[in-house]
Amino acid sequence: MVAPPVSRPTAAVSRYDKTSRPGPLVTTTVAILVAATLIPLGYVAWAAVSVGWTRAYDLVVRPRVGELLFNTVALVVITVPLCVVVGVGVAWLVERTDLPGRGFWRPLFVAPLAVPAFVNSYAWVGVIPSLHGLWAGVLVSTLSYFPFMYLPVAATLRRLDPAVEESARALGSDSAGVFFRVVLPQLRLAILGGGLLIGVHLLAEFGAFAMLRFDTFTVAIFQQFQVTFDGAAGSMLAGVLVLLCLVLLVAEALARGRARFARIGSGVPRTATPIRLGRNMLPAQVGLAALTVFALGVPVWTILRWLWIGGADVWVLDDIASALGQTIGLATVAAALTTVLAFPVAWVAVRSSGVLARLVEGANYVTSSLPGIVTALALVTVTIHLARPLYQGVALIVFAYVLLFMPRALVNVRAGLAQVPPSLEEASRSLGSSPTATFLRVTLRLTAPAAAAGASLVFVAVATELTATLLLAPTGTRTLSMRFWSLSSELDYAAAAPYALVLVVLAIPVTLVLFRQSTKVAAL
Amino acid sequence: MTTILEVKGLAKSFHANTVLHDIDLDLQPGTTTAVVGSSGCGKTTLLRLIAGFEAPDDGTITIDGRQVASPESAVAPHRRGVGYVAQDGALFPHLTVGQNIGYGLRGTARGEVRARVSELLESVSLDASYASRRPHQLSGGQQQRVALARALARHPVLMLLDEPFSALDTGLRASTRKTVADLLTNAGVTTLLVTHDQEEAMSIADQVAVMRDGRFTQVGSPQQVYRHPIDRFTAEFLGDCISLPCTVASGVADCALGRIPVQGSTADGPATLVLRPEQLVATVVSDSERLDRVGTVIAADFLGHDVLLTIDPAGDTPPIIVRQHSLNPPPIDAKVRIEVLGNGVVLT
Amino acid sequence: MRRRWSRIAAVLSALAVVLGAMACSSSGGNDELLIYNAQHESLTKEWIDAFTKETGVKVTYRQGGDTELGNQLIAEGDASPADVFLTENSPAMAAVEHAGLFADLDAETINQVPSQYRPASGKWTGVAARTTVFVYNKARLQPDQLPKSMLDLEQPAWKGRWGGAPAKADFQAIVSALLQLKGEQATAQWLAGMKTNAVVYNDNIATMKAVNAGEVDGGIIYHYYWFRDQAKTKADSGNTELHYFKNQDPGAFVSLSGGGVLKSSKKAQQAQQFLRFITGKAGQEVLEKGDSFEYTVASGVPANPALVPMNDLQAPVVDPSTLDAQKVSDLMTKGGLL
Repeated sequence: MVAPPVSRPTAAVSRYDKTSRPGPLVTTTVAILVAATLIPLGYVAWAAVSVGWTRAYDLVVRPRVGELLFNTVALVVITVPLCVVVGVGVAWLVERTDLPGRGFWRPLFVAPLAVPAFVNSYAWVGVIPSLHGLWAGVLVSTLSYFPFMYLPVAATLRRLDPAVEESARALGSDSAGVFFRVVLPQLRLAILGGGLLIGVHLLAEFGAFAMLRFDTFTVAIFQQFQVTFDGAAGSMLAGVLVLLCLVLLVAEALARGRARFARIGSGVPRTATPIRLGRNMLPAQVGLAALTVFALGVPVWTILRWLWIGGADVWVLDDIASALGQTIGLATVAAALTTVLAFPVAWVAVRSSGVLARLVEGANYVTSSLPGIVTALALVTVTIHLARPLYQGVALIVFAYVLLFMPRALVNVRAGLAQVPPSLEEASRSLGSSPTATFLRVTLRLTAPAAAAGASLVFVAVATELTATLLLAPTGTRTLSMRFWSLSSELDYAAAAPYALVLVVLAIPVTLVLFRQSTKVAAL
Repeated sequence: MTTILEVKGLAKSFHANTVLHDIDLDLQPGTTTAVVGSSGCGKTTLLRLIAGFEAPDDGTITIDGRQVASPESAVAPHRRGVGYVAQDGALFPHLTVGQNIGYGLRGTARGEVRARVSELLESVSLDASYASRRPHQLSGGQQQRVALARALARHPVLMLLDEPFSALDTGLRASTRKTVADLLTNAGVTTLLVTHDQEEAMSIADQVAVMRDGRFTQVGSPQQVYRHPIDRFTAEFLGDCISLPCTVASGVADCALGRIPVQGSTADGPATLVLRPEQLVATVVSDSERLDRVGTVIAADFLGHDVLLTIDPAGDTPPIIVRQHSLNPPPIDAKVRIEVLGNGVVLT
Repeated sequence: MRRRWSRIAAVLSALAVVLGAMACSSSGGNDELLIYNAQHESLTKEWIDAFTKETGVKVTYRQGGDTELGNQLIAEGDASPADVFLTENSPAMAAVEHAGLFADLDAETINQVPSQYRPASGKWTGVAARTTVFVYNKARLQPDQLPKSMLDLEQPAWKGRWGGAPAKADFQAIVSALLQLKGEQATAQWLAGMKTNAVVYNDNIATMKAVNAGEVDGGIIYHYYWFRDQAKTKADSGNTELHYFKNQDPGAFVSLSGGGVLKSSKKAQQAQQFLRFITGKAGQEVLEKGDSFEYTVASGVPANPALVPMNDLQAPVVDPSTLDAQKVSDLMTKGGLL
């Protein structure tokens, strides 16, 4: 679960904001982190080189890869537009029409984020056992990921100046015209950002698709890893996956154009008059209710049903407690470390403009789109060949989490930092506080809420992470996800249900944080 | 008497863009200096260099006898002992008013801090109860005053104010200006403020420095720069002026409005005569009087307190705008004679 | 107020870290035997519990798949922390053996296992066995419509009618036996037939479930999944029956679950003790009396009475040391199954 790209505002950037050069400590830390984020890419490149051109060609250009390519590309190409339609449609209904109970619907559509995609698959397979293949993948993905589109679009809709739309109406446009010609173009950045996020999740997802017997690249890489471990075929597949990710990034960058940040106004003078739905009221409500049933009702009901069927037996408290303890322990450490490390990186990105700042931006983009499995493979190879003592250690898996989820913490810390005007820091310095004291007394205090949001996002991401954990966890580690996965793989759905429940419950507070954060940003 | 601030040969560029060229400025203790210029002329950069947020490319800055900046070394801002008030006040949103004011008083006993905070609040005409409020609960003007109090808390030798009144409503501006000016004078603090409002500069400051494209065109007392501007730009920047072509001969300029004495030694020959609006008075003449140096009123704009008369003088001269009080203004098409009071300024 | 909350949060986080660190401690325990376990967790746990009860030696394990753990051992080499390796099938054992990582087993252990259930090299031994079967849906296939040999399944007539789980080590073991018995060309041909005809499932249980639901007519799995489900609720196998290929057909392949001691083990004595235990009477009785339904292989303990006796299976003779996992994965990759 990632912060939707709502919170990328910036105060007006004067030429003075970017002339400060960061100190040596910050520079070194950031340089090391940027280098570390390039490990997965380096691994893929090295694997390609060491395998040799002909063999690499044989491994990549074969029918199976064609199958995987078709599956993966079809998945992205179908699911993302579907999510756009669902996300924008729901946001529009909830923010701009006179739909009754809007205050109730609004947070409800953020709730699917609390259900990890693989739990969603588990639920749907429980309802329709023969569900499999591309359309099953599209169904589950759309239901799991549309909130990534809904959140930024809804937040943007709230911030739009109604005067623009009213002028359009005065010039003769009807509701549909206003929506397509005036509102939609203003949603472009939110849609692109959300689309990229969804695309990246689709490429990285493993558990959900494996359970649906739908082979994407990540599923195949994992299978290869189980078969050949440190092998060439898996790395080649990882290489193709990395290329797909880069294609997504480039596509989004091109579509976005020069606009880098979603501009935040100083607050909307007034809210828009709600559009009357009239005849469309009933179909709208039915549609929303259906969406809720599919996205939330099915998982919740399935989990409860399996718990009921399993009875008291499935509540093996020892196992659940230890899994919970381990998960919380790992997630907390990873969240804290990631957030702390995000500060120097965010500082360089927001407050300076040298080569390092641009490297940080680029590296951030790349790692935020690489699937966990590539990073995990890379780390396994690196540690086995170069740093044996670290292999299978807790430090390694925490490091993997930091690499994987730094972008999520970074987005929030950056947004928080960007909202602290440099004039406050200058005022503090002119009042006699050294730069360190200024950071602690002013910057840190003001960035704290954003940092907390970032930390909680990382927490949930780690708690629900599966592939990297399976590959890197120290012996004896059994997180909630791992236990859920091994039980549901053996089709022991009833025994898996308590773990699914705990995972969902763990994720709920963070979903609330995400929701509140998006409303706060809109109210700025 | 030591100068509190001495700036010599200051220069600064940002990315091949030279913002300040060879700036010299001296501030005497207890005085207020205003740097006036339009946006982007470099005045804020000058302030930031003095505060220490930027380092100069060339030249030196000396505060109270201590050199704080040169191309080789610069003292960090938190060690310069300078009070800085940003344009929007920059109050810390997470602290109360009292905590804001006491921010720079770290290491002082709690009781002392409280006493000083009350003292400062009083000096900026705010009730002591404001100490527990948060910045967002205050109006713009109140925030500005708190920012001032905060900067004054540490008894700085020099106060730097960046466009302190530009964020306020026009109505508030004049009264806040007066309050602040009095406060600073009473505190005996040397002040440097930058502004784009010439009226503001001249009403508060003991010394006005007019800046254009990174250079000072003229530095002097308000009366000096206003009455004796050194060039066209300075003259026009500090107020309305009426420019007329003229011919100078032995200290007298001959122009469409008659023969006007000019001050200072000026070369003979053709030149431009610059007059201020308050030097012109339009009196109605009856038709019977002589018709030379008489113009016709072609438009009158009633501004409430004043009226702007557009007068077409005889001959080829373009229309002249005269501002005078609005009681019994000459009607349109009336014949008026324009009288010039005082000396004019000749600019090449 | 805010400060109080942040202090509470700090304390909670510290607690969480401590909790997590305690729970997450890897097998640093000095006295604990470490097993890299690819066998079913429930069975190994039963063995471990019985062993610890009898000898007092504490055991911990790392759960994984055959090939995954095997390859991990090979990559770790002599720096591996593992003491014992247990698998579900033989190819992974053969691979680790060929990498020279196993220690010779105690003579006592060897003597407990008949020679057909262990490799000649004496570097590891069979600890349990399972047979390949064809599970079919009773309503969709009559006995006379059943395939006579596993090789029949590559014929066009079987298109879309059978299922298997090629990504799993279980299935790959069966293919490795096929490779051994019929050679590379026949295997490649059969795999091509599988690519065209078979529906791919995630594992044996999913295959069986699908057959039960009538999605496909039949599937290639190992016997014990069927028996386990039959003993419980029959939810996944109520509509199915098992068909044994017999006649030394590749489809009658009996796969040996293996156990070996790593040369790099620092607790060789306890490791050998463990293997001796599970191939001894008490260990094998876990197979006979328990609900794992895998075949016994040692100490003369008979198989679980519910099962078809081993001798009746007419399994083909395959030397477990010669099963080539690498070749199988190459062939499957080439055939587009991986």
